[in-house]
Amino acid sequence: MTGRVIVITSGKGGVGKTTTSANIGTALAKAGYKVVLIDTDLGLRNLDLLLGLENRIVYTIVDVIEERCKLKQALVKDKKNPNLSLLAAAQTRDKTAVNAEQLKEICNTLKEKNDFVLVDCPAGIEQGFQNAVAGASEAIVVTTPEMSAIRDADRIIGLLATKEEITSTKLLLNRVRPNLIKSNEMMSVDDVVGILEIPLVGIIPEDTGIITSTNKGEPIVNDEDALAGKAYRNVAQRILGEEVPFLDLDEPKGIVAKIKNAFAKLKAKV
Amino acid sequence: MIMEKGFVENGFIIDLSTAQNTTQLVFELSSIMEHPDVKGKQICLKLGNLDLKQSQLLSIKALIESMNASIAFIDTESEQTEASAVSLGIIVSKVSENENAQIIQPQKFSDADEEKVIVKEEETKTVEVSADMDMPSGPVETAEGVEDIYDEMSTEELSEVIPSESFDRTDFGAFAANEGLLPNEETSKYILLDTGNVLPEGIEENSDSTGSMPTLYLNQTLRSGQTVSYEGNVLIVGDAHPGSEIVAGGDITVWGILGGIAHAGSNGNVSAKVRALKLNAIQLRIAGLYARRNDTLNVPYVQKSNEFTPEEALIENGKIVIYKKLRRD
Ligand SMILES: Nc1ncnc2c1ncn2[C@@H]1O[C@H](COP(=O)(O)OP(=O)(O)O)[C@@H](O)[C@H]1O
Ligand SMILES: [Mg+2]
Repeated sequence: MTGRVIVITSGKGGVGKTTTSANIGTALAKAGYKVVLIDTDLGLRNLDLLLGLENRIVYTIVDVIEERCKLKQALVKDKKNPNLSLLAAAQTRDKTAVNAEQLKEICNTLKEKNDFVLVDCPAGIEQGFQNAVAGASEAIVVTTPEMSAIRDADRIIGLLATKEEITSTKLLLNRVRPNLIKSNEMMSVDDVVGILEIPLVGIIPEDTGIITSTNKGEPIVNDEDALAGKAYRNVAQRILGEEVPFLDLDEPKGIVAKIKNAFAKLKAKV
Repeated sequence: MIMEKGFVENGFIIDLSTAQNTTQLVFELSSIMEHPDVKGKQICLKLGNLDLKQSQLLSIKALIESMNASIAFIDTESEQTEASAVSLGIIVSKVSENENAQIIQPQKFSDADEEKVIVKEEETKTVEVSADMDMPSGPVETAEGVEDIYDEMSTEELSEVIPSESFDRTDFGAFAANEGLLPNEETSKYILLDTGNVLPEGIEENSDSTGSMPTLYLNQTLRSGQTVSYEGNVLIVGDAHPGSEIVAGGDITVWGILGGIAHAGSNGNVSAKVRALKLNAIQLRIAGLYARRNDTLNVPYVQKSNEFTPEEALIENGKIVIYKKLRRD
């Protein structure tokens, strides 16, 4: 088996990379695929919290690299879904404890036994980013509809384009608030896609449920009713190659929105 | 402890009117409160003519509430205590003559006379160790509220009043069985990880006395990502936040909230202990045994609180068990 290694990155911090990693990973695992999530944010790890797995971590990626344990020992199985496991970052070390070559080797080993390896990337464009990207062949760039986040995403997309191994780069637009878009206070999906010019893999609404789900250590995809959960499930399906229409975030919609929606879909297929 | 059978709707009268001072009172109350029957109950406290300051009464209230019980009302002869109660919104009333509620009463304090000498010796020893460890005697900034219980206690007083029966091992054992590491996922505070014995190669299990090891004394908050690693005992006056890690060859004592990982006896010492004013460690490790906090208690954010229930974790029969308060061997 050769699984797909996808890096989830953004440039800017706090736009939703970790949330996205946890949710897409959980959704893919629920769909029956074997998934490993790698947290590469050394010293600022979060992914374990979002999955509620902090209390189970004995070994981290640094222990694997420094040969204090085998890779298999460091994989923490998810509480609910045995298809999902986590390779945690070390909380007490910094980015220099790992290099790109080592991460690539770990990804290569993991993809032999898994369908998906999702790499949660730290913010920035320095070593942490270089490490996270090293083993990946696909990238999902997360941004919010804000000028600063978009500027950073643009920079990342440029950097990813210089990496030969990365064959696909897609956009995930997070924290979208239809009301603000309507009142012209927030950039629309089309505006963002227009600037960044890469295919869209998902639109995730702003959802306060994400905050409570983070605190509970339970990804929102497990919540059947949450809109953001549905949006993430759709992202997983798109990753699996299915054509899923983008969610109608704005319930009572007019003809303009319909056209916009169709436009976004069209872009996504490019 | 004498228990006279009676009945009342979901309540008990705890008669502490024979207590001679607050230390005695707090001590008796805390051992009574450990009785499983008292949990979740309404409590009427008979306090006799003991004068309690507001801060002292507050500590007593916190102690009762920490065992999920609550004060229905207090019965006191002291004006000072009454004033304290009023200021805290605690009802002051009289236990009626024909009250049918079960009365719980400590054995007469003087009965413990015989044991006094032994207890005294033990206590003196403990005090010496504390002095070595530089335990501050004044109020601790990071643990507000705690000093209240202790502020009136001179060590001398303490050594005289502890009735030896309060250290009854079987009692504590039963408690540990309720609170410790049982395979029951629902009720255990900590659950052993199935990692097997995680001692590094070449390290042998031992039970060297941690009392003779050097101690690293730290007066600070340990933040996420910070690690303390020491061959002897580690004493932290302050909180150890989630994401922090303490590794000690000997015991770990946190005078505050322990929220990170704590590994005592890291060189294979199975007699090492982890203790904290609030034991909330995400993982407890002693020697080669690793245990995780139960998911039902999984609060990923720092939960600060001024209510403390000191606990001590140690290995017993190959399991990590937790005691609700310090035990003397
Ligand atoms: N769609 C959303 N709605 C509401 N809050 C969100 C959403 N996505 C992310 N957040 C919040 O934003 C914060 C940063 O998210 P996180 O995934 O940690 O970002 P990153 O990994 O990029 O730094 C978190 O507090 C998270 O709960
Ligand atoms: Mg992150």
